[in-house]
Amino acid sequence: MSIMEHNGGSVIAMAGKDCVAIASDLRLGAGAMTVALNFEKIFPVTDRIYMGLTGLATDIITLRDRFRYLVNMFTIKESRAIEPSTYAHLVSSTLYSRRFGPYFTEPVLAGLERTPSGGFKPYIAGADLIGCLNFAEDFIVAGTASDKLFGVAEGLWEPDLGPEDLFETISQTLLNAVDRDAYSGWGAIVYIITPEKVITRTLKGRMD
Amino acid sequence: MATADGGAYSYSLTVFSPSGKLVQIEHALAAVSQGTTSLGIKASNGIVIATEKKSSSILIDDSMLEKVAVICPNIGIARKSAQAYWKIYGEYPPTRVLTQEIATVMQKATQSGGIRPYGVSLLVAGYDGNRGPTLYQVDPSGSFWAWKASAIGKNMTNAKTFLEKRYNDDISLEDAIHTALLTLKEGFEGQMTEKTIEIGVVTVPTVAELEEGKIGGTTGRVKPTFRKLTEEEVRDYLAL
Amino acid sequence: MPDMSAIVNPQQRQFNPYAENGGTILAIAGADFTVIAGDTRQSEGYSIQTRYAPKVFHLTDRAVLAVNGFAADGNMFVKKVKQRLEWYRHAHAKDMPLRAIARLIQTMLYAQRFFPYYVYNILGGIEEDGTGAVYSFDPVGSYEREACRAAGAAQSLVQPFLDNQIYFKNQTPAQGSSHPAHLPLPDVLSIVIDSFTSATERHIEVGDGLEMYIVLAKGRTLPDAVTTLRPQELPSSAGDGERVFVLKRDLKKD
Repeated sequence: MSIMEHNGGSVIAMAGKDCVAIASDLRLGAGAMTVALNFEKIFPVTDRIYMGLTGLATDIITLRDRFRYLVNMFTIKESRAIEPSTYAHLVSSTLYSRRFGPYFTEPVLAGLERTPSGGFKPYIAGADLIGCLNFAEDFIVAGTASDKLFGVAEGLWEPDLGPEDLFETISQTLLNAVDRDAYSGWGAIVYIITPEKVITRTLKGRMD
Repeated sequence: MATADGGAYSYSLTVFSPSGKLVQIEHALAAVSQGTTSLGIKASNGIVIATEKKSSSILIDDSMLEKVAVICPNIGIARKSAQAYWKIYGEYPPTRVLTQEIATVMQKATQSGGIRPYGVSLLVAGYDGNRGPTLYQVDPSGSFWAWKASAIGKNMTNAKTFLEKRYNDDISLEDAIHTALLTLKEGFEGQMTEKTIEIGVVTVPTVAELEEGKIGGTTGRVKPTFRKLTEEEVRDYLAL
Repeated sequence: MPDMSAIVNPQQRQFNPYAENGGTILAIAGADFTVIAGDTRQSEGYSIQTRYAPKVFHLTDRAVLAVNGFAADGNMFVKKVKQRLEWYRHAHAKDMPLRAIARLIQTMLYAQRFFPYYVYNILGGIEEDGTGAVYSFDPVGSYEREACRAAGAAQSLVQPFLDNQIYFKNQTPAQGSSHPAHLPLPDVLSIVIDSFTSATERHIEVGDGLEMYIVLAKGRTLPDAVTTLRPQELPSSAGDGERVFVLKRDLKKD
């Protein structure tokens, strides 16, 4: 039994037109046994950045706290909110600092980056457990259902989706992927990040 | 016992004198005020820093002297600190953060055992997206301030008075460079040439330049906003 | 004194009779048709052995078989199935019905229970009642009739997409309406093409070419939207029965 699959769980992020979305399942397992169905894997970083963590649950919690501390220190030192691209590098260097004894998590980031002209640009990124960053223009997947997520997302995603269409696309992708994965599922949560607001929705899915 | 030089208190870095002074730091500040004059002016579209480059002997190869240097593309004047920041965040530090880091290093020298305070003041000029162009002065005590215009070294008092009279909030970079040269000329001993002064400028990038982004894709280097003027450029400014 | 150099440590050698040759197959049943498709890449490890190795085979006027897994076993298995179908034709002077072929395949696979054909089979075609049908098998003969199925290297990528697009899983129909039980042929073909382009994009063992077999029920004609794609009709034994068409598409070769 691999460590990365012990607790199960999956996360996906997608870019839209002037918006991004990030979603995850809610299962926490111990091997084949389901332990909880309210284990959230996505955390707010700033008003415009959310991060999802898949993999070993204990490391998810440790890293959530560690990154919260690091972002708080940044915010105090620089008296400004961290930008998604800066945060992605912080995640990368923090994970790489444990290159030879890594945290068993694969993070997924979704946020809106401020442009020099004052607008916002969708920003999504993923990393492996030692911090190798992956910048994609369409979607990022991670977790035990990653192959299924890749397949469905590749079929459903299209460029320049508005917030509501993006919500529909990411929700359908996640739900149908986790329904074919024994280690993911048991409910889902979706965050849509727009320049004005963040919309949070919990989804009703199969509970088996 | 209590003499003009600080007496018994003058040897310990960390013991305050009865008058509330750390005497070693006073000495360091005194060392600064004997140094050559340097000054900085923040303009509406950039910053200029200028310094006198005078050698004590004609035998010194003054082409090897460098008192104005690039720390990283967006900050002109501790490169180590900037590189450490790059390694964590994938970008260079904002001017204020780097100044803070330098100040921390200098402050530690006022309290640690076995070392003495740095006998220098620094002018740090830089541009960043958060605060725009900023000019800071760091002193041996480790304290730092943001300035619109400032001077350090010999003649600093006169120079500051001169700058106070000349400065206004919407001065252009070109005018600021001339003001800097005029200020430096007050109390300059000997001939002011491209060999005896150094000038560095920070220019504010346009929105178009910022949108264009980094050289060589998103992971590439940021375009420098600070540069040292060449001897030819300095000569041209002196001629005007 | 015995020759001591003859005494050596025990050694074990193993021959692995199986290989995994990548690729993906897929079949979708409609009301009066079935589409059976497969890519044409054949690989072993990171090497591509050929860019054109068919995995979908025309068995009878109403049956098409797709095989995926170990290519050598697959080819031999198809050969033997075809032989059994020919014997059936000689004995009964007609083609074997689809559900009978499905049961035959089960028997043939289970006959090799202790040295199985390392292949996943998907059988598609038209039942005797004229409906489209898909039968999917595991390597030892467990089988099931379904409306759609994906198998092979990119099964995990394609199957959840099919669940969503064919079975309308996780989709709620609008008030007072319901999801269609079967999709029209043009819709099915676009879903098949989308599935394979997606799988090609994200799976290294899928690509090069796509072959889609369309089995059409007796008396039905292709919709105009499909005729314009210029499918090739395969010769049939009886002129008035079911018909089989082939549609080929290029897939990315990288």
